[in-house]
Amino acid sequence: MKRNTNRSFTWSRITNNRLFFPFVALSLILLFDFIFIPGFFSIENRDGNLYGSLIDIFRNGSTVMLLAIGMTLVIATGGVDLSVGAIMAIAASVAGILMNPSALLNELFFVTDPTYTFQPLWVVIVVALLVSLVCGVWNGVLVGYMRIQPMVATLILMISGRGIAQLITNGLRVQITYKPYAFIGQGWIVLPFSLYIVAFIFALTWLLTRKTAIALFIESVGTNFRSSFFSGIDEKKIKLLVYTFCGLCAGIAGLVASSNVKTSDANNIGLTTELDAILAVVIGGTAMKGGRFSLFASMIGALVMQAITQSMYAIGVPAFALQAIKAVVVIFVILLYSEQVQVFVRGIGGSTKRVKS
Amino acid sequence: MKRIADFFEKNRKFIPLMSTAVLALIAYGIGAYLFVGMRNPQVFLNLFRNTSFILISAIGMTFVILTGGIDLSVSGVMALTATASAVLLREGWNPWVVILLMLAMGMSLGAIMGSFIVKLKVQPFIATLAGMWFARGMCFFISDDAVQITDPTFQIIGKTKLLIPGLMELSVGQGTAAPFITIPVVVAFLLLIIAIYFAHYTRFGRTIYAIGGNEGRNEQSARLMGLPVDRTKFLVYTFNGFCSALAGLSLALFVESGHGLYANGFELDVIASVVMGGTMLTGGSGYVFGTLFGVMVFALTQALIQFIGSLSSWWTKIVIGALTLIFIGVQTALANRRSHRQNTQTTEAALVARRKQQRLVFGLGAIVVLAIVAVVSISRFGAASSTETPEITQCVVAPFRENEAETLIKDGAVIVYNRTAGPLCIDELFAIYPDGRVIGNDGVASVEKQLDPAEVENLLTVISVDHNWFTNEIYSTYLNPCRQCFAHYINISYNGQEKAVTGVDGTTAMPPGYAFALAEIRPLLPELNSAP
Repeated sequence: MKRNTNRSFTWSRITNNRLFFPFVALSLILLFDFIFIPGFFSIENRDGNLYGSLIDIFRNGSTVMLLAIGMTLVIATGGVDLSVGAIMAIAASVAGILMNPSALLNELFFVTDPTYTFQPLWVVIVVALLVSLVCGVWNGVLVGYMRIQPMVATLILMISGRGIAQLITNGLRVQITYKPYAFIGQGWIVLPFSLYIVAFIFALTWLLTRKTAIALFIESVGTNFRSSFFSGIDEKKIKLLVYTFCGLCAGIAGLVASSNVKTSDANNIGLTTELDAILAVVIGGTAMKGGRFSLFASMIGALVMQAITQSMYAIGVPAFALQAIKAVVVIFVILLYSEQVQVFVRGIGGSTKRVKS
Repeated sequence: MKRIADFFEKNRKFIPLMSTAVLALIAYGIGAYLFVGMRNPQVFLNLFRNTSFILISAIGMTFVILTGGIDLSVSGVMALTATASAVLLREGWNPWVVILLMLAMGMSLGAIMGSFIVKLKVQPFIATLAGMWFARGMCFFISDDAVQITDPTFQIIGKTKLLIPGLMELSVGQGTAAPFITIPVVVAFLLLIIAIYFAHYTRFGRTIYAIGGNEGRNEQSARLMGLPVDRTKFLVYTFNGFCSALAGLSLALFVESGHGLYANGFELDVIASVVMGGTMLTGGSGYVFGTLFGVMVFALTQALIQFIGSLSSWWTKIVIGALTLIFIGVQTALANRRSHRQNTQTTEAALVARRKQQRLVFGLGAIVVLAIVAVVSISRFGAASSTETPEITQCVVAPFRENEAETLIKDGAVIVYNRTAGPLCIDELFAIYPDGRVIGNDGVASVEKQLDPAEVENLLTVISVDHNWFTNEIYSTYLNPCRQCFAHYINISYNGQEKAVTGVDGTTAMPPGYAFALAEIRPLLPELNSAP
């Protein structure tokens, strides 16, 4: 009798954990890969660096993971940031222009010298991140201080952001040939370098939110901004903070993405990634209404998105048709998260208890 | 003064609509003042011809937004309709069956998304996002390449010129071509009239306003009043699916082809048009009629930027973004004033803060408007020489001289490069031979240049090996190029292999290796300086 209650207790503890469903989704996909794609889990060691499909999931997923960190905080306040893709493009354009300004002369041709750069690397990175920070502040001011609906406010930058990015690059693809910059997205130190960036930002965010009261403030603003206002939390400042941070994350993601393809392409970089990032957060179990959030669960969510992409490529689904598959997966996830299914899964523990007692 | 204030007080709900209409008038007035070409009635009618699909789609979107929802799937459904109809017509289906089938497909896609939103309580944003991805992905299952529509019935529907009775005599008197509209424009206006009837004169329409009222918080009250909330929302998404399919057909008629990359990011244009038309994105407030003006402002922005000529096409995005911001600012200010009148407990301090906020919004809006005016006027005076009126339509892209290119390759050329369109609507074709000879012509002038044969050999190796020319990574993409962009066609023969690939710059579609190859070829080509 006692053992029974104990068992149902642990079961409900597992299913009530917010990491449960993301982990189920990830393991389902990995199981699929294990059965259908031979060699998916093999990892090669080349000159001390690790390569393989699993590593690729982490490497290619680093952009979405970076975005998901910022997006989690934004969604936790009950908002959403649609402009991250556009901010990525802006940051990439700024970086590209600072390294290869020949595009401004309306030339399609580019320098092929891998050591040439117009500005030193640190200037490039700092300026690009500052610009993305400004974009984030803009969103934060519109949402926090102007009280415009988050989806609408960020839609503005989403529409005009790509135009601004094209304005910066004069509408051309800027080829980036500078070798040290390529290290951001393509370098390896045992593991891909972009993974260390993700880990650093994740650890920083986790420490800054969970080890201070900021996470609590964010969650309370997301749950009920009026009552948190009356309990003395300045919700405007909190909103400004999260949107600014989200812009910064998007800027870093833009640098990683552009160095990965060695091109800053205002049209293509970050196209529809805002949707990937939002889905990653939703798969991670943070409600779109706002409230409680888990950064780690969002990371798992981002990995789920990337694992789907990677396995579909491995099966040989063409890049564009991939979207249809993604849509089906999204529908599946929606069903998994619907009330009925969740009640059913949690009911398994409860029903055994009822039968045995 | 008091009377004017009273007038505005009484008709407060019409302010967003009226301001859009006034803005459209002013924009057209400025355009007509600055550019002689814009006074042509055909140019005015072209505003509708070029945007009939935006109008159709925006009507459906207005309903969705009025219920407090959003539909991101419109662009995907449009691309799917265009692609599927093009492929079915190529297979020889009856065009009328195809049209009916496409409309049914759009409605069922909308119905599926609607039932997800209503039954499973999925956020509209997420559900329609999945719908968009699904539709766009399906396009590429149907066809990888753009498919031309050559069906005679579709050609007739798309190209029939409907003359306007009053304007016809006028233009005959002036000796100019008679202005005309096309069938999709008529369809769009018929849909607009039907939509206005449904929105304002039926129970269905009133339920929509009731659901979205009070900034979307009214759904519960509507349900308690016994209104069929679920059914209405379901119908609204189904109707929007229908509108998307109709817009997709209209787009297919306009560009006479179908491809999965068409209408990329189009949902943003539609949403921006609806917002500029005075509909609140939170729902419950706005007029279907206003959407017409929203679409007109959009079309005028595009037209003005094309007329100015020295501004690139991406300025459209920036201006539309700024205009959306201003309209949202105005709406927010109005909503704040309304809620402050209702809320008698508002303290004096909060009132002052709110006024400050409004002033800030208006100030920002004014700054943005001034900035746009400044940019426009600077470019106007900077490019004073370009007073001749550019053609409003995109430059007609000369077809790829495929046979000529193939003949040249057969005659021993290793690379044939054909470039069309661009700001000056050029059509140049270059052939590079293994002995270093480069011959180019653009139909008027021709040019020759001698290269080092080793250089040609090197070029071929670089393109084929370094840029993966003979792999699947290099594929053809063809879209209607933007006005400032070029379409590039490259034929290469190397090591007994031949490949012809098409690409358009300025769009999202060109594979990176293709761009690299272009950058290798272009510097070696001679200048072609023929009179435009």
